[in-house]
Amino acid sequence: MNKNFKILVVEDDTAVRKLITTTLKAHEYRYDTASDGKSAVMGAVSHNPDIILLDLGLPDMDGVEVINRIRSWSNVPIIVISARSEDYDKIEALDAGADDYLTKPFSVDELLARLRVTQRRLGILHSSSQAESPIYTNGKLSIDYSTGCAYMGEEELHLTPIEYKLLCLLARNTGKVLTHKFITQSVWGSSWENDIVSLRVFMATLRKKLESGEESALYIQTHIGVGYRMLKVE
Amino acid sequence: MKEKKEHILACLSSAPTNGRIIRTAARMADAFQGQFTALFVETPGFVLESEDNKQRLQENRQLAQELGADIATVNGDDVAFQIAEYARLSGVSKIVLGQSAAGRKKWFGKTPLTEQLISHVSGIDIHIIPDKNAEARYFPEKRKKNALKAELKNCAMTGGILAGATVLSNLFYHLGFTDANIIMVYILGVLLTSVATSHLVYSLVSSVASVFIFNYFFTNPRFTLMAYATGYPVTFLVMFLTAFITGTFAIRYKAQAKLSARNAYRTKILFETDQLLSKAKNKEEIMETMADQIVKLLGRNMLVFDIENEGLKAPRHIGTEGLTKPLENLEKEMETAGWVLSHNHSAGATTDTLSDSRYLYFSLRVNERIYGVVGIEAWRNPLEVAEHSILLSILGECALALENEKNAREKEEAAIRAKNEQLRANLLRSISHDFRTPLTSISGHASNLLTNGENFEVETKQRLYKDIYDESMWLITLVENLLASTRIEDGKMQLHKSTELVSDIVEEALRHVHNYGEKHSIEILEKAELMLAEVDIRLIVQVLINLIDNGIKYTPEGSRIRVILDRVAEQQEEGCRQMAEICVADNGPGITEEEKRNIFEKFYCGSNKVADSRRSLGLGLYLCKAIVEAHGGSICVEDNQPQGTLFRFTLPLKEMMIYE
Repeated sequence: MNKNFKILVVEDDTAVRKLITTTLKAHEYRYDTASDGKSAVMGAVSHNPDIILLDLGLPDMDGVEVINRIRSWSNVPIIVISARSEDYDKIEALDAGADDYLTKPFSVDELLARLRVTQRRLGILHSSSQAESPIYTNGKLSIDYSTGCAYMGEEELHLTPIEYKLLCLLARNTGKVLTHKFITQSVWGSSWENDIVSLRVFMATLRKKLESGEESALYIQTHIGVGYRMLKVE
Repeated sequence: MKEKKEHILACLSSAPTNGRIIRTAARMADAFQGQFTALFVETPGFVLESEDNKQRLQENRQLAQELGADIATVNGDDVAFQIAEYARLSGVSKIVLGQSAAGRKKWFGKTPLTEQLISHVSGIDIHIIPDKNAEARYFPEKRKKNALKAELKNCAMTGGILAGATVLSNLFYHLGFTDANIIMVYILGVLLTSVATSHLVYSLVSSVASVFIFNYFFTNPRFTLMAYATGYPVTFLVMFLTAFITGTFAIRYKAQAKLSARNAYRTKILFETDQLLSKAKNKEEIMETMADQIVKLLGRNMLVFDIENEGLKAPRHIGTEGLTKPLENLEKEMETAGWVLSHNHSAGATTDTLSDSRYLYFSLRVNERIYGVVGIEAWRNPLEVAEHSILLSILGECALALENEKNAREKEEAAIRAKNEQLRANLLRSISHDFRTPLTSISGHASNLLTNGENFEVETKQRLYKDIYDESMWLITLVENLLASTRIEDGKMQLHKSTELVSDIVEEALRHVHNYGEKHSIEILEKAELMLAEVDIRLIVQVLINLIDNGIKYTPEGSRIRVILDRVAEQQEEGCRQMAEICVADNGPGITEEEKRNIFEKFYCGSNKVADSRRSLGLGLYLCKAIVEAHGGSICVEDNQPQGTLFRFTLPLKEMMIYE
């Protein structure tokens, strides 16, 4: 299955690049490499990959710049790789259009997990193609957009209007990391400091409602300092 | 033979020809490469001089200053004596005078100034500059009193005293006292008049009038202006002279007293300024003190400009009491002040530069370094010479005080920087040392596996792989600790705060904790929910990682570690605050009392009880303490019940409103 996936690896540090390509090869992914911004954009154009792994510390171009360029013609999922200490470059990248991020130092397990998440998201995108299905399902969670109700299994979830909006936003972007700013702007229409704080609280209560009960599968993943993501549960 | 340095003294006066004298003296000083001083002797009668004279004196003083003279002022009655004294004390070698001083003859035929001077000094050359416009002889005019009210008051006083004296004399006459007593009464009357009035003319009039009244009322024949007795003309003359002389002296005495009082006041101000400046603790206090003293001294409004980034800050306006109207034409004043700053020379009202400003500006400086600019309101009435010199000395002291303060401050900052560098150097040294050991281990194992890999058993290989993994994980924590400690700059921690849920923070920390093979059980217990705190995520996560990692490192396998979240009230300086409390508790062997005392010290490594020696940097807990305290919280360690160790730290809670 992985053989169908082509991944573009953009990383200027040779050791890390080798680590990634070795891992990909071991798991039967196809891949191309680039070691700076310009060749990354060229690679995206010529090889048309399914996923791009983009390092943010490129020598010639800002990672965000690369994302902007690629996003101008393509919606290909981009996973950015950044150093652990700073958060704002990740947030910037996500706001510019990246889907997910990896923090150095990462383990190969993490890398593979992230790839799988994105794969699943692409799968959903391709299967649901044009018309958006009125019902969203993810494991035991289901949302009926037309009636505006959400269910966990058979039980209806009692959500406040804002909680429902949040849930729908996450569901429509399953597998993608949404920044705080993005979420508050979509739900509240602005991103004041206060709104971002309220967001934390709403998310916490929403999670409690989703994850109460025996299953406690992790639906909403918190990326502290960055945002949130809805995971596809097998 | 060693040449003594020449010191040229020119006498400042309000004469129109004084300018020539000053210029000559300047040329002389230049030619001899000597010192040049311009001296002004302020006599008690100077305050009564006309505006024109005062203006001329100002101009002469300015000219002298421009030509490079030091200006000095002395007070005294006897001009020649004062000049001589000054010349002697200051080591003056040549005195330059004008011919008008030589030629001026008072109507008593008083000796001219030059001759007086020559008699007082010996060994000093006196140069007299001839006056081409000798015919324009000039007399110092007395200033006309400009207040009608004061005149009337003086007349009234004079009249009143004369009347009183007459009444008293009448009484004496009828009591049969001799003429001598009556004359005494009138002389007393004149004395009182000269004390009570402010001008000599009144005592003159009074003395003449006394004679006539005495004649009219009390000499035979009474009520006529004739006197029969032969001695009376002499009596009249003597009476007149006595009256006149006492009157004159009384006036002089009054003026002198006023002058002394004023000088005493000025000296007091200077002394006070000294004391206050030495007590002032910082730049603002120094400037404020100076401004207050100058306003007290001069009774004029002031502008004080601070220097900021090579330019001037907006001025502070310090006024005499009752000043409420705002400053007019601020840009013009700022412009003038700016000019003074860049040229390091005074400008503004009454000078040649930018004289349409209302204020006269001086720079606060020590030689070439400028510390501020000060403006004195001078457009309506210019500064007197004495005021000017005292002002300059106050400004000079203030500038010195500012320079001292600046030097002290810079020294302190340099000391802090040096200390920080020292701390950093120590830190780097110990950390570099700690890097080497795990790196040796990793490279050793890896090299082993490369060369002899096939010969090892699976078990051995697994162990080696695990060791490599463990050591590198440890290195990662080390690097993070190191990065966190570099955030300490200037002795303070640079925090990038954001509001987060405490439970989110704990979850994130757990993701990074190295629970090797799940040998320890870690659980979270939330006793209070939805706690928000404003924290630097990276740093607080690092604190938790350090605490939990320690729990894992120092307890045997199978031990249980719990993270407990709760809400507490903590007593702090500002009062009672709501805090989020996070406890990391293990049920391991615990730590000794001694270790508990020292455990937060820098570079302290407790005795390792665990068999396979896990290295500890010793930095972890010191850093935790620094981070927690920088957030406004506290950290402590205590024994867990029934056994083990409990680390407890608090963070200030953020309360917030939720709007649906």
